[in-house]
Amino acid sequence: MKKLQKEKSIMLLLCTIVVLVTIIGIGVGAVFIHPKDILLSLAGVDIGPNGFIIQQYRLPRIIIALLAGSSLAISGAILQGIIRNPLASPDVIGITKGAGLAAAIVIILFPHAFILARPIAAFVGASIVAILLYLFAYKTGLRPTTLALVGIALGAICHAGIQFLLVKFPVDVNAALIWLTGSLWGKGWEDVWLLLPLVLILIPLTVALALKLDILNLGDDVAEGLGEPVGITRMVLLFLAVALAGSSVAIVGSLGFIGLIAPHMARQLVGNKHRLLLPTSALVGMLIVLVADGLGRGVMPPVEIPAGIFTAVIGAPYFLFLLKRLQTKS
Amino acid sequence: MKKIYFMLLLSLLFVLAACGAEETNPESDEEQQEQTEADAEGETEEQEGQSQERVISHEMGETPITGTPENIVVLEFSYVDALAALDISPVGIADDNDSERIIEPISEKIDDYTSVGTRKQPSLEVISSLQPDLIIADLQRHKEIYDQLNDIAPTIVLASLSADYQGILDGFEVIAEAVGKEEKGAEVMQAHDEKMEELRAQVPEDEERTVLPAVVASSGFFAHDDNSYTGSLLASIGLDNAIKSGDERYNKINLEQVVEFNPDVMFHMVAGDETVVDEWEENDLYQGISAVESDQVYEVNRNMWSRFRGLISSEQILEDAIEHLYGE
Repeated sequence: MKKLQKEKSIMLLLCTIVVLVTIIGIGVGAVFIHPKDILLSLAGVDIGPNGFIIQQYRLPRIIIALLAGSSLAISGAILQGIIRNPLASPDVIGITKGAGLAAAIVIILFPHAFILARPIAAFVGASIVAILLYLFAYKTGLRPTTLALVGIALGAICHAGIQFLLVKFPVDVNAALIWLTGSLWGKGWEDVWLLLPLVLILIPLTVALALKLDILNLGDDVAEGLGEPVGITRMVLLFLAVALAGSSVAIVGSLGFIGLIAPHMARQLVGNKHRLLLPTSALVGMLIVLVADGLGRGVMPPVEIPAGIFTAVIGAPYFLFLLKRLQTKS
Repeated sequence: MKKIYFMLLLSLLFVLAACGAEETNPESDEEQQEQTEADAEGETEEQEGQSQERVISHEMGETPITGTPENIVVLEFSYVDALAALDISPVGIADDNDSERIIEPISEKIDDYTSVGTRKQPSLEVISSLQPDLIIADLQRHKEIYDQLNDIAPTIVLASLSADYQGILDGFEVIAEAVGKEEKGAEVMQAHDEKMEELRAQVPEDEERTVLPAVVASSGFFAHDDNSYTGSLLASIGLDNAIKSGDERYNKINLEQVVEFNPDVMFHMVAGDETVVDEWEENDLYQGISAVESDQVYEVNRNMWSRFRGLISSEQILEDAIEHLYGE
C-alpha cells in the first residue's frame, strides 16, 4: 500500500505541473500575457484585447494540445502493451503514416476540397492501415511480432506514397509538409469540438480495460490460462489505440515520438501497472505537446515553428538514451 | 487501379461541385443584380466616400465588403505587389519575418508594416491585433484557417502559389475590386498592358532560343516550365520555355533531364551559397547544354523572379530578361 502512495503523489505532482504549464503556455506567443490576467480571463473577467486572444486562439490550441498529447500517449501505451515491445507506437506500426498518406493526397491533389476533407481522410487512412494490419496479422492469431512487422511494412508503403507525392508535386507540398510535421497552428474551437467527444469516450474506456493489458503482458499462454480470450481482447485494444491515434492525428497531423516516449517516461515514474501507467502516460504526453507548442509559438514570434519539430528534438535524444539503457541492461 | 480511384474521386468531386454551384447560382445572380443596381446608384456615392457593399467572388466563395478597406493584411508577396501597384500600403505582411524579401521597387512604394510571421504559418494573433478590415490569403497555404481569418475580417482567398501569369492578372482584378479601386485597377492594367507591348516589341520576331527559368538550390534544380508563373510570363513576350510537355510546374529535375530539354538560355534563381549546379559544373554533360556552351546562363534575383508574382515584378523580370538577352 505504501508503494502506491508514492505513485499517487507522483501523479498528483504531474497533474500540478500540467496545470501550471497550461496556464503559463496560454501566456506565451506573439503577445505575452501575464498569468494573473490569464486566470482573470479564464474566470470570466474582461481583460481587454488580450482576453480575445486567449479565448479565440490560445485556449482552443492549448485544449487541442492536451487532447492530442494524451490520446497519442495512451495509444502508444496500449500498443506497447499488446505488442509487448517497448518500441511500438502509432508511428512505428504505420497508423500515423496511413493517416499521413491519405491527408497528403487530399491536400495535394484536391486543393479545392472542403475543409473537413483532410481530417476525415486522415482518420480513414489510419483506419485502413489498421484493418490491413489486422487482416495480415490475423492468421497468426495477432502475434505481437507479426503485428509489429506487418505494421512496419505497411508504414513503409505509405511512406513511399507520401514521398512520391512530395517529389511529384513539389510546389503543392507546403501545406502538406506542415501537416506531416504536426502543428497546432491555426487550430480553433471547431477542432476542439471534433476531438473532444472522441477523446472523452475513448480514454475512460481504455483506462477501464487497463487490467486486460496487464493480463496480456503476462504472455499469451498465461493469459489464456487465466481465461482471457486473447485474440478478441487484443483486437478491442488495437481498435482503441487506432481510434485514439487516428483522431488526434487527423486534427494535428503526424506529431511524432509522443506515442513512443510518453509511455516510456511514464513507466520510469510509476512502473508497469496499466491502471497507473495509462493516466500517467496521458499526463506526460500532454506535457510534451504543451511544451513543444509553447516553444513553437514563443521562440521567435511572430514566426511559428511546427510543434512536431520540437517533439522530434525532445523525442529523438530521449529515444537514443533509452536504447542505450536497454542495451546496457541486457 | 490507382488511376481508376482517382477518376472516381474526381468525378464525385465534380458532381458535388456542380450541385453546389447550382444551389448558389440564383443567389449570386441576385447579388450581382443588386450590385449592378448599387453601382448605378452608387457612382456618385463612391466619390463621396460613402460605404456600399460589394460582393467579391474568390476561390473560397463570396465575401461582401463594405466601403474602402484601409487596414489590409496580406499573406503572400503577390498581394503586396498588387496593392503597391494600386498605391495602397498594407498594414501587415506575411514576409517570412525577413523584410529583405520585399524587392526594392515595391519596398519603396509601401510604408512601414508589421510582419505577421511566415507565409506558411502566419500568426493569427498578430493579424487580429492589427484589426484589419480586409485580409488577402492564398488558397493552398491558408485554406485551413479561412474560417478563423474570416472571423477577424472579411477575407478573400486567391491562387498565388499555383497561378500562372494570367492567373496573377485575374487575381489583380479581384484585388482591385475588393479594395474599391476598380478604376485605378483598370488604369494600372492598361499601363501594364502597354508596358508589356513595349517589352514584347524588344524581342525579335524570329527569336528561336528556348529559355528555362529555374530555382537552383542545394536540394535540387527546380525547373519552372511553360505552365508556371515565370515560364508563362516569359512565353507571353515570345520567349519559349524549354519544357512544354510538363504536367507539373516547378518540377525538380535532374541533370539528365536538363540535358534532354537542352535550353538555349537559363535563368538561375539562386537559393543559398552552394547549389547543385556547383556540382554539375564539373560534369561534361552539363557543359554540353546549349545554354552553358553558348555562355547564356544568367543568375537572377529569386525574390523578384519567383516569390513575388505580381504586375510590378512581372515587368521587372522581363526588363531583367531582355537586358540579359539583348543588352550590351
